[in-house]
Amino acid sequence: MRRTITLNVNGESRSVDVEPNDTLLEVIREKLGIKSPKIGCERGDCGSCTVLLDGRTVRSCLILAVEAEGHEVVTVEGLSSDGPTELQQSFIDHNSFQCGFCAPGIVLSATELLERNPNPDEGDVREAIAGNLCRCTGYEPIVKAVMDVVERKAGK
Amino acid sequence: MPIAHELEYARPETIEEALGLLEKHGSGARPLAGGTDVVPAMRDGNLTPEIVIDLKAIPGLAGFTCDAGLVRLGALTTFTDIIESAAVLEHAPLLHEMAVTVASLGVRNRATVAGNICSAVPSCDSGTILLVYDASVHVVGPGGERAIPIADWFTGPKRTALGEAEIVTSVTLPVPSDWHGGAYVKLGRYGGEDLAQASVAVLALSDGSCRVAFGAVAATPVRAPKIEALLGSADLTDALIEDAKKLVSEETSPIADIRASREYREHMLPVMLERGLRAAARRRAGGGPAYGTRHI
Amino acid sequence: MPELKYVGTSTTRIDGAEKVTGATRYVDDLDFGPDLLHAVVVESPYAHARITAIDKSAAEAVPGVVKVITGQDFPYRFGLYMKDRYVLALDRVRFVGEQVAAVIARDPKIAQRAAKLVEVTYEELPPILDQAASVCDGADLVHPGLYDYERVPWFFPKKDTNIAHWRKTRKGDVEKGFEEADVVLEDTYTVPRYAHCAIEPHVAVGLFDQSGRLTLWTASQSPHTQRNVFAETLAPLGLSHKDIRVISPLIGGGFGGKAGVTMEVLAAVFAIAVKGHPVKLRWTREQEFGNTYQRQGLHAELKMGATSDGTITAIEYTMHWDAGAYVEYGANVVNAVGLSATGPYRIPNVKIDSLCLYTNLPPGGPYRGFGYSEFHFGLESHINRLAAKLGIDPVEFRRKNAIVEGDTLAYGASMNPSGLIEAIDKAAEAVEWGKAHEPSGPGKVVGKGFSLMWKAPAMPPNAGSAAFLKFSEDGSINISVSGMEMGQGYLTAIAQIAAEVLSIPPEKIRVETPDTDRNAYEWQTVGSHVTWGCGNAVRDAAIEARDRMFDTVHRALGYEVDDLYLEDEKVKCRTAPEFELPLPGFVIYGIQMEDGTFRGGPVMGSGAFMPEFSSALSDPETSQGGHPNVHYTVGAAGTILEIDKQTGKMEILKTALAVDVGQAINPDLVKGQIVGGLLQGFATVLYEDMRFDEHGRLLNPNFTDYKIPTALDAPREVVPIIVETAQPDGPFGARGVGEHTMIPAAPMIANAVADALGVRLKSMPITAEKVALAVEAEKE
Repeated sequence: MRRTITLNVNGESRSVDVEPNDTLLEVIREKLGIKSPKIGCERGDCGSCTVLLDGRTVRSCLILAVEAEGHEVVTVEGLSSDGPTELQQSFIDHNSFQCGFCAPGIVLSATELLERNPNPDEGDVREAIAGNLCRCTGYEPIVKAVMDVVERKAGK
Repeated sequence: MPIAHELEYARPETIEEALGLLEKHGSGARPLAGGTDVVPAMRDGNLTPEIVIDLKAIPGLAGFTCDAGLVRLGALTTFTDIIESAAVLEHAPLLHEMAVTVASLGVRNRATVAGNICSAVPSCDSGTILLVYDASVHVVGPGGERAIPIADWFTGPKRTALGEAEIVTSVTLPVPSDWHGGAYVKLGRYGGEDLAQASVAVLALSDGSCRVAFGAVAATPVRAPKIEALLGSADLTDALIEDAKKLVSEETSPIADIRASREYREHMLPVMLERGLRAAARRRAGGGPAYGTRHI
Repeated sequence: MPELKYVGTSTTRIDGAEKVTGATRYVDDLDFGPDLLHAVVVESPYAHARITAIDKSAAEAVPGVVKVITGQDFPYRFGLYMKDRYVLALDRVRFVGEQVAAVIARDPKIAQRAAKLVEVTYEELPPILDQAASVCDGADLVHPGLYDYERVPWFFPKKDTNIAHWRKTRKGDVEKGFEEADVVLEDTYTVPRYAHCAIEPHVAVGLFDQSGRLTLWTASQSPHTQRNVFAETLAPLGLSHKDIRVISPLIGGGFGGKAGVTMEVLAAVFAIAVKGHPVKLRWTREQEFGNTYQRQGLHAELKMGATSDGTITAIEYTMHWDAGAYVEYGANVVNAVGLSATGPYRIPNVKIDSLCLYTNLPPGGPYRGFGYSEFHFGLESHINRLAAKLGIDPVEFRRKNAIVEGDTLAYGASMNPSGLIEAIDKAAEAVEWGKAHEPSGPGKVVGKGFSLMWKAPAMPPNAGSAAFLKFSEDGSINISVSGMEMGQGYLTAIAQIAAEVLSIPPEKIRVETPDTDRNAYEWQTVGSHVTWGCGNAVRDAAIEARDRMFDTVHRALGYEVDDLYLEDEKVKCRTAPEFELPLPGFVIYGIQMEDGTFRGGPVMGSGAFMPEFSSALSDPETSQGGHPNVHYTVGAAGTILEIDKQTGKMEILKTALAVDVGQAINPDLVKGQIVGGLLQGFATVLYEDMRFDEHGRLLNPNFTDYKIPTALDAPREVVPIIVETAQPDGPFGARGVGEHTMIPAAPMIANAVADALGVRLKSMPITAEKVALAVEAEKE
């Protein structure tokens, strides 16, 4: 049965009509018009649909939209409303991404990591983004960009 | 591809309300916690409930406690909750070592231990760990509450002892209050997220005994009573470990599937058992690699 | 060559910011409003069957269903190099997952439910599931009409067989060559099928408007080729090129999988079926695996001979390709390999047979490397084994036989300039070739592997590229081309080439994504040729714009054109140091004269390029006489591999690839191709393969069981090495590099495993499981 739910999306309260079988990913893309979370595998394997739900990365393809009622959703659009974050700028400087399809998910996964652990080592970075598949880059320029931010913040 | 079949959604705020819905809809109802198994199964059309009952608003199911003596995981406890808990690392470190091998971070932030054992695939990571800790699964249903020993929980591939109108409320692990060691050895196809091709859990207790369980090499995760009996409380000498490895084939019945051949599983199980026993023994003695370190 | 300012610098990507901020709009992100319809395809459950009836009445009755379509509605054949495919299956299905019918509905969920109600009745036929079954005596014909299919003149199908194309290359006398050899080695190598796994699935939206205009938005490497194929296919409906427009925004990875036409033709006919409404078709991940192009399987028999001084005397390479149900593109992969399977070696006596075989598996087609990865696996494994038999170091053996500029290729043409020797030396040095490495623990061993590689673009001899370039008031530039940015950095490289000619920094240049109505022509973004081909066109467009500016300055101010030059966004004059004309303003408004009139006008330029020396005409029995390949890019790679002997688990401690790119337009982006391509190559040997059951059903159409590498599965250290031996006909000396970087990965691992364990694995992939079981088998 169709129902109206309210979510906080990128800092703004949004009400939207959803069906119980709509996933959060479908609602974000088709009903809220936010397109950075991508449809990649629809079974939680690829990470291209990653969003932050109450500050934690989740696979929005594995969540029913109704489950997210009253919760806070952040997509990459919500990170960069005032221009790229330091992390995003580092990705730009390192030519970290190629086709870019995985980029929104990886930006969010790396953002979550740095929020939780400001001083990760390279292994932590790789573990944090291991659920975000990238077919282009070999991951190296992505990991390096994150580590550069870490080292800069630590004054190394 | 969207979830094509129509369904209802309920978010009860009490156990009683949830049980009422389960009773009303019978096999048409599906409890939902993290959803990481349920949602893709609905998308594939393998699961077509008329109603999903979201358990996340029921206060009693959230939270977990961890003390020397007992770990209680509320049904909504996620793998990330476990990984981030210093108390788990101290009191039930094997639980930590297992949790870091599950899927990937974005899934672990959502997926629950209770959901993992309710899905009950033979490769489920939680199964072997709960077996060696002699865990109990606490459920509630029309007949009231009951505790199901983990040894009785798994009844077949994707089958459990949970009744149709029951829900899991918590999982408890009586953890040894004195020093112990353990190891979770998981074989995957590569370093990233994978379902276990095979897994071995070892819990080495302070009395010198060891508990052993295998995953993904039988219809359910299984304990290894013959190996445990052989090991007794003796020192884990090279000769004893070799003898234990010879018993693996009596405790397991690996098959070939897309993830591994039977031959590779048969070859790897003794290797994994040996590595697990040695790591657990070293940890029991106060040394060994940090928990969460891969053994393969 | 004068000093370069923008070419050769590692400028940041011009599409970097839009990608990390989520601003990029891929096809699926475009908004088509509430009238958008959604299509779902009904797929064949059988690998081979006759369709005896289709009942669509139940599906049509579902509220919200707009139309149900079957093959009878659009009974057309299509294809890139050979017209052997059907828009929707007509009377016969040839692989599991083939499109049989489609439901178009208001809502994707309705379409999905209704698609299950389309009742198709089949009569099963025995499927052909491998090469042996395809060529055996009395094999059923997958395409009885093969011989009559329209095709390019360089394909040679065999009548009344499943051999869709047979490329034969003959040079010298192989029998004599083997007689002269002191050592002859013969063996068989096999390579399974692979999937591209671009993270963005295929998606296409079609709109056939009320005026009869067909527009397609496609995730494509080939918008102009798609328009051409659509126009050919839909000609019976009265559509021509001018009626068809293909718009392709940035794509989320291609790797060859989005070249040519696959599911996009469905969006075209669906749009025609529901005139006036946009209709979207998006492949699920399962369809992405099962019904786009797949990398073809290979069964290869290889015989090589060499004299005791280490000179290769002859090669005989027979390759049977599992090309699948339709080979309209895949047959050209087979063709390309048939011309180049000697690898980058000087071999006087050559006999290559490359056979394209129909099977009842999904259509094969282009995949990064275009068949070269597949044949290099056997070839480079064999080179190591020959060297061992001769008692020669495998790197030295390669060095001795490496092809150099001017050597005669297998088909008779001459080898282009090549830095192969330099690449060999640098790659060997990077992995400390010859030095032993201590394993990190007991039960572990370390081995080293080496491999050369080469590859030429596979394209028709008349594949063209064109470019338009125009200035804006502030001196910034828009470049309109139709190559596709799929991650490789094409937009940035194109901007750098124009920047170099016009002295404009790349950040003031916008390069447009393709729209066949508006942008200049590009054949396809395949074959690692766009930096070379389109780069030449852009360079010429920039030169034309520059010459217009110089002409205006000459007419208005009298300076001699030959004395004028551009520097720092200004026109300057060698004979008048005080003269500086800033480009902003001038490039639109011209130069004002004393009488108040103006000279000049908006500055623009156009350029076009075609390799006019190329020809695909040659003797079908020997391949002698043509010039089918424009040039080869070569390279060498080494790796240090640690293996746990008990588990078979392998870790790449270090790997280095040196590749001769002629001139790196952007070294950092070249390094990106090396690091990324190597990992894709390592994945094919260590983790991936497509598995089919005995009914031809794909068992692992998902990332759960088709394991593409994660950040935890990359080599510990990658050393990218750029070699630059200029390509005379390339822009600033550049040649392509996109595909090449994955080619040496597989044989390099096979060779490292052999070095470490003394075990030779001849069948890909080389998984931990295979290694561990091989070690066990050695023990017995």
